[in-house]
Amino acid sequence: MKEIVFAGFGGQGVLTGGLILAYMAAQKDLNATWVPSYGAEMRGGAAKCVVKFGESKDEMIGSPSMEEADIIFLMNKPSMTYLKDCKPNATVFVNSHAIEDTSAIPSTMKVIKINCVEKAMEVKNPKGANLIMCAAAIKECKLFDLDYAMDTMCKFFEDKGKGKFNEANRRAFQAGYDAV
Amino acid sequence: MAKELLKGNAAAGEAAVRAGADFFAGYPITPSTEILEYLSSRMGELGRTFIQAESEIAAVNMVLGASAAGARCITASSGTGISLKMEGYSYAESMKLPFVVVNVQRHGVGLGGLDSGQSDYFRETKGGGQGDYRRVVYAPSSIQEQVDMIYKSFDVAEKYRIGVTIFSEAVLGQMMEAVDMPPFKKREGELDWGIDGTGKKGIRNNKWTIFERVEMYHEIEEQYQEWENINVEDAEYVFVAAGLPARVCIDTVKKLREKGEKVGLIRLKTLWPYPVKAFKELGPNLKGLISVETNVQGQMVEDVALTCRKFKINAPIYCYAYGPGVPMVKEIVAKYEEVKSGKCEERF
Repeated sequence: MKEIVFAGFGGQGVLTGGLILAYMAAQKDLNATWVPSYGAEMRGGAAKCVVKFGESKDEMIGSPSMEEADIIFLMNKPSMTYLKDCKPNATVFVNSHAIEDTSAIPSTMKVIKINCVEKAMEVKNPKGANLIMCAAAIKECKLFDLDYAMDTMCKFFEDKGKGKFNEANRRAFQAGYDAV
Repeated sequence: MAKELLKGNAAAGEAAVRAGADFFAGYPITPSTEILEYLSSRMGELGRTFIQAESEIAAVNMVLGASAAGARCITASSGTGISLKMEGYSYAESMKLPFVVVNVQRHGVGLGGLDSGQSDYFRETKGGGQGDYRRVVYAPSSIQEQVDMIYKSFDVAEKYRIGVTIFSEAVLGQMMEAVDMPPFKKREGELDWGIDGTGKKGIRNNKWTIFERVEMYHEIEEQYQEWENINVEDAEYVFVAAGLPARVCIDTVKKLREKGEKVGLIRLKTLWPYPVKAFKELGPNLKGLISVETNVQGQMVEDVALTCRKFKINAPIYCYAYGPGVPMVKEIVAKYEEVKSGKCEERF
């Protein structure tokens, strides 16, 4: 089972980023859960989601909450408090635009720094920072094939009536994939 | 077809639709609002009836009216909203009008908070409103289980003309999970009591006494207990839990078993009838039962104790009243260590 935590503040696409990963798992008929937690604010409040999915079709998800994360995305500094509930060998994806000093991250963890904000601007998709981080994790942690992940992400947005952003989203996704 | 990733509350709405619900009335309240929101468009699409009432009391009484006319009815709410429906629960029982309620519990007293919890255990499992009566209570641990329970709840409700409560929790309502949806179905057979305009059928013709109902409650107690026992036969300590805490206990048992600890789990799927039969499978090595619940006093632990008295099980009974939220595996493990080392006071 994979346990993934996406943490940051509202507006960074934290909940959507996690949801896309859960959706990719569910579309493969794997058991998957997504648990959000966020404040009452639309933007700026602490936001986090926990995604779990089985690695085979018969693997069930017990506790849906954060227990021992395999992968964590840190989109802002306050998210670093969640490191205490990660596996010692967790992979940590850091938004280096918001977090410069990563010395507090335990040395047993693998740290991958990506300036997802800058990259999102480069590909002209300023709201795509979360997709950049997702794509980096998909490659680094071998979660899904690139083609499958990219097409499923597009389907996710199409279902929400946001298919017109697919091209920009694909660019962001590719940029994240190439960043690791 | 791939599983659909659905929010607990939206899945509850869709499950009701698939089960043939043709009437919903409700009033919004966090964390159950998405059920109402989902059905506000879905019921119209299917040519069924959706009403956002002016209050919870109005909503439950609309449900009673529709139920009297033979509709498959559902409503949903949380916390204080369910309290407001209680008069309706009791009147429904007095008229033998079946309907389904989803209680997406928020934790706390009075207005309470937005945290998840199981603080409505007493109210939901002991009838709720005035008078002595019962409602069937299903406690799902996952969104799939919630879907399956809602799907069959209307059949149970109509068979016995009794109310059914789905004992959901804020986190279960707000989280998303991959779900297989069942096919659309309709009621099998005809009701012999739904008002049909001929004057020959209807609840006014009902001749019944509360004593007949008591017999019926016994029949339900005998036939409708649902539970899942995990590793209880040789267990020294057994967790007893329902809903999301039970789901966390599945992982806890797995983890402790890997370390060689002899633990088991009684996962309750119905809360009334309380699955006393599950306790018959407890083995001779039993040293203690630990009720795990997300409220502050420990409520279900009383039913654990009563069940143990029934079967003359003398093991001490402990309670992990976690409070609001969903416990983590390591927190339940820590409680277990406390119990095992004699540092936890027994409740019964």
